[in-house]
Amino acid sequence: MTGRKSSLIKAGILLGSLLLLPRIPSASPSEDPFTSDQRGYWAFQKVIGPEVPAARQEHWIRNAIDAFVLARLEAEGISVSPPADRITLLRRATFDLIGLPPTPEEVTAFLRDDSPRAFQKLIDRLLGSPHHGERWARHWLDVARYAESGGFKLDLTRPNAWRYRDYVIRALNQDKPYDEFIREQIAGDEFRPDDPEARIATAFNRHYPDETQISILLRRQEILNDITDTVGAAFLGLTVGCAQCHDHKYDPILQADYYRLQAFFANIRSDDEIALWSDEQVREHGQKQAAWKEATGSIRDEIESILAPVRKTNFETQVKKFPKDVQTAFLKPDPERTTIERWLWHKEQWRLNPDEHRLANMLKGESRERYEELKAALEEHDDLYVPDPPAGTGIREMGTDPPPTRVLKGGVVGAELEEVPPGFPSILQPGPALIKPSPGNKSSGRRTALAHWLASRENPLTARVMVNRIWAHHFGSGIVATPSDFGMMGERPTHPELLDWLAAEFVRSGWSIKRIHRLIMESNTYQQASTYRADADSADPLNALRWRFAPRRLEAEVIRDTSLAVAGLLDREAGGPGVFPDLPQNAPVPAGGWEVSEDRSDHHRRSIYVFVRRNSQYPMLQVFDMPDTLSSCSRRTISTTAPQALALLNSKLTLAWAQAFAGRVIRLAGEDVYAQIDNAYRLAYSRGPDAKAKDLALTFFHRHREIIAERASRDEELALPQPMPEGVSPIDGATLVDLCHMLMTSSEFIYLN
Amino acid sequence: MRTDRSSSPPQPCSRRAFLNSAGRNLGVVALGYLLQRDGLLPAASRPAGRAEDPLTAKIPHHAPTAKSVIWLFMEGGPSHIDLFDPKPELDRLAGQVMPESFGRVTSAMGTEGNPLMPSTRKWRQYGDSGTWISDLYPSLPHHVDELAVIRSCWADHLNHVNAVWQMNTGSTLAGRPAMGSWITYGLGSANQDLPTFVVLADDRPVNGGANNWSAGFLPATYQGTAFRQQGPPILHLSPPGTIGEKQQSSKLSFLTELDQLYAADKYNDEIAARVRSYELAFRMQTAAPEAVDLSKESEATKTLYGMDDELSAKLGSNCLLARRLVERGVRFVEVYCGSGSGWDAHTKLDVNHEKMCAISDRPIAGLLSDLKARGLLDQTLVVWGGEFGRTPFTQNEMGRDHNPWGFTMWMTGGGVKGGQVVGTTDAIGLRAIDRPCHVHDIHATVLHLLGLNHTNLTYLHNGRAERPTINAGAVIRDLI
Repeated sequence: MTGRKSSLIKAGILLGSLLLLPRIPSASPSEDPFTSDQRGYWAFQKVIGPEVPAARQEHWIRNAIDAFVLARLEAEGISVSPPADRITLLRRATFDLIGLPPTPEEVTAFLRDDSPRAFQKLIDRLLGSPHHGERWARHWLDVARYAESGGFKLDLTRPNAWRYRDYVIRALNQDKPYDEFIREQIAGDEFRPDDPEARIATAFNRHYPDETQISILLRRQEILNDITDTVGAAFLGLTVGCAQCHDHKYDPILQADYYRLQAFFANIRSDDEIALWSDEQVREHGQKQAAWKEATGSIRDEIESILAPVRKTNFETQVKKFPKDVQTAFLKPDPERTTIERWLWHKEQWRLNPDEHRLANMLKGESRERYEELKAALEEHDDLYVPDPPAGTGIREMGTDPPPTRVLKGGVVGAELEEVPPGFPSILQPGPALIKPSPGNKSSGRRTALAHWLASRENPLTARVMVNRIWAHHFGSGIVATPSDFGMMGERPTHPELLDWLAAEFVRSGWSIKRIHRLIMESNTYQQASTYRADADSADPLNALRWRFAPRRLEAEVIRDTSLAVAGLLDREAGGPGVFPDLPQNAPVPAGGWEVSEDRSDHHRRSIYVFVRRNSQYPMLQVFDMPDTLSSCSRRTISTTAPQALALLNSKLTLAWAQAFAGRVIRLAGEDVYAQIDNAYRLAYSRGPDAKAKDLALTFFHRHREIIAERASRDEELALPQPMPEGVSPIDGATLVDLCHMLMTSSEFIYLN
Repeated sequence: MRTDRSSSPPQPCSRRAFLNSAGRNLGVVALGYLLQRDGLLPAASRPAGRAEDPLTAKIPHHAPTAKSVIWLFMEGGPSHIDLFDPKPELDRLAGQVMPESFGRVTSAMGTEGNPLMPSTRKWRQYGDSGTWISDLYPSLPHHVDELAVIRSCWADHLNHVNAVWQMNTGSTLAGRPAMGSWITYGLGSANQDLPTFVVLADDRPVNGGANNWSAGFLPATYQGTAFRQQGPPILHLSPPGTIGEKQQSSKLSFLTELDQLYAADKYNDEIAARVRSYELAFRMQTAAPEAVDLSKESEATKTLYGMDDELSAKLGSNCLLARRLVERGVRFVEVYCGSGSGWDAHTKLDVNHEKMCAISDRPIAGLLSDLKARGLLDQTLVVWGGEFGRTPFTQNEMGRDHNPWGFTMWMTGGGVKGGQVVGTTDAIGLRAIDRPCHVHDIHATVLHLLGLNHTNLTYLHNGRAERPTINAGAVIRDLI
């Protein structure tokens, strides 16, 4: 940004803060709070499927995308790039849709298929793969600031958060219509209260960072802010968070709009006990557990009699720690509590009524001893024990009477201004939202109204924002380069008509995400080579007009998964609780814990299944820019840093991958070094080495072999292939390990072309 | 407006230009040099590349008075009332409940109704400035006329984690960039062989963890590096034992060749940056262990830092390490004393503070003497403080609760006007009343001394030009 523009903006901020006192539309209904420029802003206009433009080089146009792209390129006098070669195309599509490299067999099969539909068939196969959801769910989880722990000091584990991750994977694999995907995540509990799948989907609004503190009213507000910001960014592509303290400085979002949007969520609380089983399953389970209950009845009664006094004392001590008004709320009978008081009560249960484990830790002396004895006695009946039914985590409401939502002056709790009803950004739809509580439901129906509005074909933002996200992940950058900011401070679309055409097509296809994948990938635009061209580059250095496919670094998860796949280590098991691979040696144990998975194959699961601890992300993923999960992330940073180099080069983990890779190469190629190099290249890069590459690798092999031989002669330990086949010389084996290691570290390995 | 959007037009990359571009701004192409030395790579021409490096030294907004910062973080909340801010009025009110005239507060542990507790410390005025310091810090008064003691600090949060986050990032919620990251972003690096922003923790983990030195929404390049307390200071600094030095060079040379071959027919700025990152990694392997190697320091120096005493040895070596790092161009060194709430004296404050001061007195005084002797104090800003102070009312047995409403910090060096006291708290030390200095003001001042204007240092994130001081803060003019 230029200095002039920046100082203008600064002046704007200053002026804004002086002049733009809160403007509440209800205060002066006759006066339009928005300028005509704001009302006419492109992103707030209805999507009308534009006509597909004509272009001179008609032969290049495979579908409408090409027509839009070509028309712009022709207008600027930039030529398109030739198609990428087939191996590049295969790798591009495979990484793009499933996040793994093609196997050598898949390469052979694709190269052999000379039918004109070969690439379409490939897309079909990849979209049908169960790995597709594992790849694309990660993109959505970034937006959902998904983590499996609460963050802050304790970073407490959320034991069932992973069910949401699996829900997203399933939804994408099934090509769940996006409007339904929205409705389930916003209000699944209201739409289908008896459907565990829909209720797990509501965890979208349960992934807020959270902590335990005495100022819980402040905490409640922070949670609501997080939810409002995330919903605004994820579905609307608006930075509504900027209107928390004052009217948005750039976009037509009033401060009141912020709280109107927030009011949809005023009545929610977390629900970590979502029943996943049918009534019949629960009944059956009850019958199974009956035997254990009967056998242990007296033991459990005595345990309870020991814990009861501690529970009482703890309750009394804890209550006193809260401010007076909160204490009063806690001591009331439940029906007398206001909705917010019910929220506080529920939120503080962990402190007021801790679980047995924490209570037992408070026992002392004899009662502690007796308790231990009783627990031992209980264990003797373990053969009869049936674990409790599984539970899901998400959100629910606290009844049908939501608490009032008030505008907060400066966003400060305690500085309440006027009450606002639930409503949408007034630039799009002024006035309160129409709320209809569904009969018999224990919920206000507010989120149902929001879900319908968000998932409506009339909403000018929803479809645009989503097709742009899809586009951005295919090409490395969006038509709007700021996928969660379609506002004034965001980037303008490079191809506004194309964006609208895609949005219209998305809605027309029944909100099919896979339809958009196909359209994009079948276009010639997508299939262009990534080769650099000086002429085009000087005219359009950022490739905004898409004269080539821009090469880019693979994401953290893809780098790790690809390494595991190439090494032959990848465990393809799908779903389930997060796994805990080894941490680097001497790494501190994170708050909240990191109990390394016992099953070694769990260490080789896909990265999406690695436990996401909010405060301490898995180092190999973090170093390659996995987002921090503290707020919604629409576009990852791509950094290139020395710690990345150190991690790939020096960690025991990558060396172990290289050892397995070398072991696999020897298994495939035997002892012949030519065959080994050939195989290693095919596994790592999906192609055999050309003459130059072969020469380079051979030269290295022989040069490096001498260094290894020296080490061996000094009896120094060597990193050998795993498994080390009999009959192979350790010197050759260790040389191959290093060769494989460098292939896995090379740019060709971690860049997508 | 400073943003990190690179827009320099890329050019095609010949093999030689590609290799050269990787070595820009480095002085020497260390990797190339080492590879040549080992006979693994033919000699290349002088580096003259053009790929943008996010750590390139940048021009500040105005002339700085400080080049580096050493932030001495007394974690847990040291009691200003027992260290720097004597309150005779507390002797008069001892044992009474806080009079209503001081205003209502809600303390972290609900202790605001407890009796007021006077300090048991012996107090003296020192130096020409006549600054009060209690007997808890016997060595520090040697430097009293260089200190600017700010008695009117205040912060926004009662809890440790949030308050520590705020002192580091400006926000009580996690996720914003740390000051060290903003400074690295604003100024770039002065020594690319070492991380620009280094954190030296105590034995226990810092409350709130890595969020305290995270780059937040700034690119990850700017995040702080927490040096490890044992073994090599940086994770994966050296290869596993099964890989020898010459072997490593040979591997790296092969890697460079692979990348050259790959980049031969394409222009990719990133790949040049990638080769550069490998070079930096390679140089760090030598530079970082050298920087943390205290064996060449004299016994006299070690004694100066209190390393001869078991209690103060740890902080002493971290303070010495901090000096070595700023000497080598590291911009921001954060040294924790009592990480994991070491100063959190809810019970028996005297016992706690006598220990924490025995740990910190000589190392800090030694650091100031050493910096001065080496002519480094003029260009090194030293900041002392916790995340908050402690309450005038008592808790448990002779303890004090958290006090974010008023507490003391001090600064010295780096252009700070020493020998003065800034601001006051009320008669019992509860609240800052005269010239109150919020955390944002402290941050704005630190940035100012480094030549950065806190309102002009911005980064566009989620539609907002974010500043290190969020939406507030003013430079504390009295300090300059």
